Amino acid sequence: MSDVAIDLFLSNFILIAIIGTIGVSLYGIVAKPNLIKKIIALTIFTDTANVIAILIGFRRPPSVPPVFTGALTRPPTLEELRAFASSAVDPLPQALVLTAIVIGMAVNLLIIFITLQVFRLYGTVDMRRVRELRG
Amino acid sequence: MRKFLIAAAVIVIAVLASIAATVGGALGPLFNGVRSLAEFYLLNVFNPHNQTLTAMSPEAVTSIVWDYRGLDTLFETVVFYMAIIGCVSLHRGIELIRKRSEAGLSRIVKTVTKILIPLNIVIAASIALHGHLTPGGGFQAGAAMAVAPIIVIVVFSRFFLLRKGVTKEVALSLRSMGLLGIALVALIPLIAWVTTGSAAYVMQNQVKADSSFSFPAYIGGSLVSGSLIWYNIFEFLAVTFGFTIVFLLLSVDEETVRKVLGGEEHE
Repeated sequence: MSDVAIDLFLSNFILIAIIGTIGVSLYGIVAKPNLIKKIIALTIFTDTANVIAILIGFRRPPSVPPVFTGALTRPPTLEELRAFASSAVDPLPQALVLTAIVIGMAVNLLIIFITLQVFRLYGTVDMRRVRELRG
Repeated sequence: MRKFLIAAAVIVIAVLASIAATVGGALGPLFNGVRSLAEFYLLNVFNPHNQTLTAMSPEAVTSIVWDYRGLDTLFETVVFYMAIIGCVSLHRGIELIRKRSEAGLSRIVKTVTKILIPLNIVIAASIALHGHLTPGGGFQAGAAMAVAPIIVIVVFSRFFLLRKGVTKEVALSLRSMGLLGIALVALIPLIAWVTTGSAAYVMQNQVKADSSFSFPAYIGGSLVSGSLIWYNIFEFLAVTFGFTIVFLLLSVDEETVRKVLGGEEHE
């Protein structure tokens, strides 16, 4: 088998694994009656979306992180900068994922607090039983 | 055994599907190089030869977060703020009482914690202050720092934290100070515009084509990347104390909460 075929196979394997993970997490969000399990599935879904974003901006090794590691006390030469720009991975998805992680964490905190409140008021986090109760 | 079989079946199906996609030419290869936008960021992020486009920081991610796409991050901070306020308002009416309590884990755990907490603070401060030089920044440092209050709550009990002066009110005001600092750094170019008369943009960092305003990139010979270090420091403050509030509220015992909730129900 050629390198190109192995490369394509591994790319496809990663993509199919991601699609499968999204399917499982969506199933968890929709079908599980337990609110805690819904939250776990939601975090898996968010993380999978972040992995996709990082993968899109990734560069085939040998690549370097998007941090310029040359001298900082003198101005870098244009050659150094061009060498950096042609070998570093895409920083934009990483910045967006950082934003997504922080917002996801804040929203998760709020959801967890609401779930805690539901448990305190109804004594259960099972959506089927919460729906039957009136309060 | 049944779970093992299911896992094995899932892996086999994924491999077969990948082979089918490879043979059939569907999907496609990943890692085909980066887009021209990425090349632009990477080339200009620390480029003193191109003063109007650079952020003067060797760290591309922090530059994008606080300079190139700064307003995004500002709104993201607002979302974070709103979520914390939502948590606080869900806990309205519940008082965090201070009382003497010798609760907590054993003396060994407490001593080890006392040694580790200063280290934790130093590491978090280092992540925040080097955010414009190495991977890291305000959010990451805040998340690292937030480990300290939760360890103290688990090992010593929340009364210890409250007795040391880290109350909900103190944390809320420190967090608001962080947010005000971010707003101030974002508005300094406008203030400079009003006072000096030369045009400037909100959240401007370095010189732009039609604006001569610039935060100092070097202070005393060391690289601070203009506004980036200030944003990182204030974000560090805001995130740390945002999480501290949440952990304090989460550690309130069920009895106290139920008393308040029950009181509302019977009114």
